[in-house]
Parts: sequence; C-alpha cells; structure tokens
Amino acid sequence: MSLRQVRKTYDAQEIVHGVDLEVADQEFVVLVGPSGCGKSTLLRMIAGLEEISGGEIAIGERTVNEVDPKDRDVAMVFQDYALYPHLTVFQNIAFSLQYRNVGKAEIARRVAEVAAILDIEPLLERKPRQLSGGQRQRVAMGRAIVREPKVFLFDEPLSNLDAKLRVQMRTEIKKLRERVRTTAIYVTHDQVEAMTLADRIVLMHNGQVEQIGTPEDVYDEPATLFVAGFVGTSAMNLIQGRIEGGAVIFGDGARLVLPPSRYDAHAGKAVTIGLRPEHLHWAKDGDPNPLVGVARVVEPLGSDTLVVFDVAGCELQARLPPRVVRHAGEAVRVAVAPESIHLFDPATERRL
Amino acid sequence: MTAGKGWWGQRRNRQLTLIACFLLPSLAIFFLYRILPLGWNVILSFESWSPLKPAAWVGFEHYVEMWSYDDVFWVSLWNTLIFIAASPLVIAAALGVALLVNSDLRGASVYRTIVFLSYPLMTVAVGIIWRWMYDERGGIINYALRASGLVDGPVGFLQSFDWALPSVIFAGVWQTIGFYMIILLTGLQSIPQNLYEAARIDGAPAYARFFRITLPMLRPSIFLCVVVGILNSFTSFDLVYIMTNGGPGHATELLITHIYKSAFEQTKFDYAAALTVVQFGLLLLLTYAANKAAGGNAGAVEQD
Repeated sequence: MSLRQVRKTYDAQEIVHGVDLEVADQEFVVLVGPSGCGKSTLLRMIAGLEEISGGEIAIGERTVNEVDPKDRDVAMVFQDYALYPHLTVFQNIAFSLQYRNVGKAEIARRVAEVAAILDIEPLLERKPRQLSGGQRQRVAMGRAIVREPKVFLFDEPLSNLDAKLRVQMRTEIKKLRERVRTTAIYVTHDQVEAMTLADRIVLMHNGQVEQIGTPEDVYDEPATLFVAGFVGTSAMNLIQGRIEGGAVIFGDGARLVLPPSRYDAHAGKAVTIGLRPEHLHWAKDGDPNPLVGVARVVEPLGSDTLVVFDVAGCELQARLPPRVVRHAGEAVRVAVAPESIHLFDPATERRL
Repeated sequence: MTAGKGWWGQRRNRQLTLIACFLLPSLAIFFLYRILPLGWNVILSFESWSPLKPAAWVGFEHYVEMWSYDDVFWVSLWNTLIFIAASPLVIAAALGVALLVNSDLRGASVYRTIVFLSYPLMTVAVGIIWRWMYDERGGIINYALRASGLVDGPVGFLQSFDWALPSVIFAGVWQTIGFYMIILLTGLQSIPQNLYEAARIDGAPAYARFFRITLPMLRPSIFLCVVVGILNSFTSFDLVYIMTNGGPGHATELLITHIYKSAFEQTKFDYAAALTVVQFGLLLLLTYAANKAAGGNAGAVEQD
C-alpha cells in the first residue's frame, strides 16, 4: 500500500499536509501523534470514509481515491467498536460476509473459526450490550478478521479500555498478529502502544509526518524535537546550550563531552540538548560527563526512582535505581555517555 | 433499627412520609378527575339513569343494545379503526421527511421548522382552515384541481360519503406529521454515525443500511409514534366535530363523537357511559399490544 502526497482540506484549511508513506505487504504500521495531528483523518481517508483532497492512495497496484469503501478490501476496527447493538455477536461478525456472496455454511464455518481464534465462542448468541469492554473489543476485531481483507485499519481500538485491560489487549493484538499476518495500519495517541506493536512507526504532528522508522529508530535517533519529546516513557530533558570545542555547554558552565569529531561542523552553534532520563545513570568514578546537583523531587516507582534535580541552574530529570536518592535535598551524581546526547537545531527543530 | 426511637425515629419512615407529602397533591387530582370518574362511569354503564329519574341496575342491557341494535356504534368503531390504520402511513411519511431533513440537504433546518409548524396549531383552527380549503365552491383545493384540469365539476370533499373520511384523516395527517417527524428525527440523530461507517466498510448497500441499521435502531421511536397515533385516533374529537360533525350521515362518525352525541345531544348518559367503557377497553388493549410489540420500551433510546 502506498500514500503519495495525500492531503486533506476542510473549509480551505489544510489539516493533512502531503503525507508520503509506503507500507510493505504484511507490515504493521502505527500512526501515532497527539490528538488533532491528522492521524485519524489519514486513516479514514485510507478507509474511504473521508474524501481525499489531494494526492493518491493505492492499495496493491490499484489507486483507490475514487473507490467506494466496500470495494477497497479494507476492514476497520473503530474506537468505540461500532458493533451493531441489535444484532448478536454471530450476526455482527457475519454481517460483512452476507454482502460478499458467501454461502450460509461457509459463513458459519468462518465465524466459528474466528470465534475460536479470539476465544469468544461462548458469546456468539449474546448482544453487544451484554459484553464487557474487552469482549466487545474482541468482537470488533473478529468482524474485521473474518473478512480476510487486504488491509486492517485500527482507529485507537484500545483507548476506551481501562489501563489494565489495555495492556492485556495490546498483548493479545500482538499475539493475534502472529496468527493473522495481514498489512495493518494502527492509529493511536499512546506512544507505548506504538512502540510495542509497530513494525514501523509514523509520527505525526500538526498534519505532517515528523519521522517514519522502526521503534528503535525513533527512540535512538529522533529526527525532530517533537519526536524526541513524544517518544519515551518519561519525557526527554530538553535544555538550551552551545557547542564549544567538542563539547556542549549549558546553564552556568556545565559541560558535556560529545562523541569525537561528530559535531565539528557545528562548532560555536546554539543547540537544544536532549537527554533521556534513563540515560542519566548514577555516576561511578571515571565516568565521562559527570553532573552533580541537588535533588528537588524524588518519585519512587518501585523498580526505579524518578529524580528531578538542579544542575548548573537547569532542571533535569533522571531515572535512577531505587534507593540511591531518597529525599529532596540530597546530592545527585549522574553521568551520561557521549553517544546518548541528542542535539537539535533550535531554529529548524531538526536533529543535528 | 434503633430501639426507643419509635416509628417516627426511623429514617426510612420519615423518608416515606416526605415522599407521600410530595405525591399527595397530584395523586389527589389524578384520583378526583381520572380514577373516580372512570369508576363511576363503569358503574353508570350498568345502570339506567338520566338526570330526571333515579338510577336502576340493568346489568348488560346497554352493551346488548350496542352489540345488537346500534348500527352507528359499528360504523363509528369501523371508522375509528380506519383512523388508527392510517397512522402507520403517516409514520412512514414522517420517517421519509425525517430522513430528508436529517440529510445534508441545503436548508434542511428550514424544512424541519416548516414541517413542524402545523403541530402546535389549535386543532379547531386546523379544522376550520381545512374545511375552507375543502369547500366545494370557494375552496382552494377544488380551484387547483379544476385549474389543472384534473376534475370536471367541483368535488364536495366533506359532503361525499366516499371522500369525507379520507379528507378528515388527511387534515389530521397534515397537523400531526411534524410531531412524528420530530420524534423520529430525534431517534435518527441518536444512532451513532460510526455504525453507518462500519456498515459501509462491511459492504452493506444503502438499502441494507436502512433496513438493518436505521429501522431496527429506530424501533422504540417508531413504536412511540404508533402508541401516540392510536391515542390521537381515539381522541380526534375536535377535528371531526369542526369539519363534519360526523357526517355526511355517519360517514365520519368516530366512537368519540358517537359518545358525545349520545350523552349531550340525546341525553343518554348511561348509554354513553357504556360506549366509553368499550372505547377505554379497546384503547388499553391496543396500547398494550403496541408497547408489547416494541419490547416494552416504546420511546426508549437503544443503547449498545
């Protein structure tokens, strides 16, 4: 599947600005971004529920811009499931097959097969209102799977579930993915969902693609400041500084050595420094780039502890092992490897 | 229960008393003007009574008379049933209008208002206006029909045995269609849009989306309309009274006008009471059946 310069305009206002994306067969691509970034609109354009204002969408070899949703061979899982409330689970799953010239016996066989995959066999005669959130979610997926479509579209399918169930269903989707290998586009605003599920992530912001890459790519080498701030369980520390003689200087004189010769071309330049809290580790003697400061806030999470501390007049957050810092006011000594320092151009907001 | 506090000391009893105090005024009015007259009416229907002579128990005499000798009763019963039978047609038409004004048609909200405008009008006014419009000589309908060459001579809509009942029903339809439309429109707008999107992706064509999503989801609203339609048919006294007064002959006589005439023109209050009991029973039966058919939730909004 491919998208070429896809645009969407509402009332003379462009909300999706020319998106290019190639999706390989059987690839699981996650569109992620804050609400209003245009990810759902893009998905709905692929589904055929929104008109395409410009550009081209092709599924397989076929351009589908003008093709009716039913003929695009896509199946969609909606955020609030969109189950037909007056139909039983069986009828919900069978619904699409009835309009695709599938015989009665074949419908029964395929619904049973899908029900077995999703573990919802005892629920087939129930109505959606008698199901729990997780069960409805499964039925919604069953309705998509039974079609055996070319492309699955997921529109924030887990956002209506409570936190615990969401994690559980995330794993289920991952497992399901091993059994039903079909191209899928998955929309979410949750970067954890994106990281855990995706073969490739498309990060969107204000109707534009910020970065396309594997979960490792976007974590290790965020292309823009936005990606840097969005990806990662605890947000990256972003501070202003300047490159001087193979190091960055920030605050009132703190200095971090950079990997040798990598940023030579940018010497003297003002930069935004990005440091992930988990890359600020408790310093041992001889570690490069030690930073010494005073803890302001200590948040123990059990497995590790989030510590906000002051260094050279800047506030940083570090994810440290439990119990190395217990109280605000204690001294903090962390270090950061030169390779873990991200630098961005403050003007263009792009990675250097 | 706390010992020693007595009846008034219990929270539950205090609450019940409070609830009773709030309910009492409306219950009293309801009892005085609804239950009591209804009960008295039932008793009266088994008695021979007029303002001039004392009541005497006559058992089922009035009912036997109604069943065996009163042709007008059968005609008015039949007309009432025709009135009721017309309501599904009105509801279907109202559904069509509701679907139209619910689409992204240009100026849909203007049409919505126009269609609804006739409903709050006083029925008496509606009756008078339509009587003018149906008029044999000066009525606009006759004028239009003749101007377009559809008929040769004037049609006496309200004077014709064939046309009188349909004409009255049509005027009633004109008045109430806006009301049904609003109920159905509310129902339509409560159907989640993503069901249609899901159905489109599932490949259901437009007719299937209507029959498999719109209609079933609209069922409670439709049945609410049916129940209201039945009630309206039984009580369309004013419209008939103004337009035809039951005529010509008894061509537009309804049970309700027959009751009125028996009681207040022929002063047969006892017989009118018996007719009322029959009408009440019929009304109860039909409303119950309609609500039963709706799954007991006429007017409810189906939730997933």
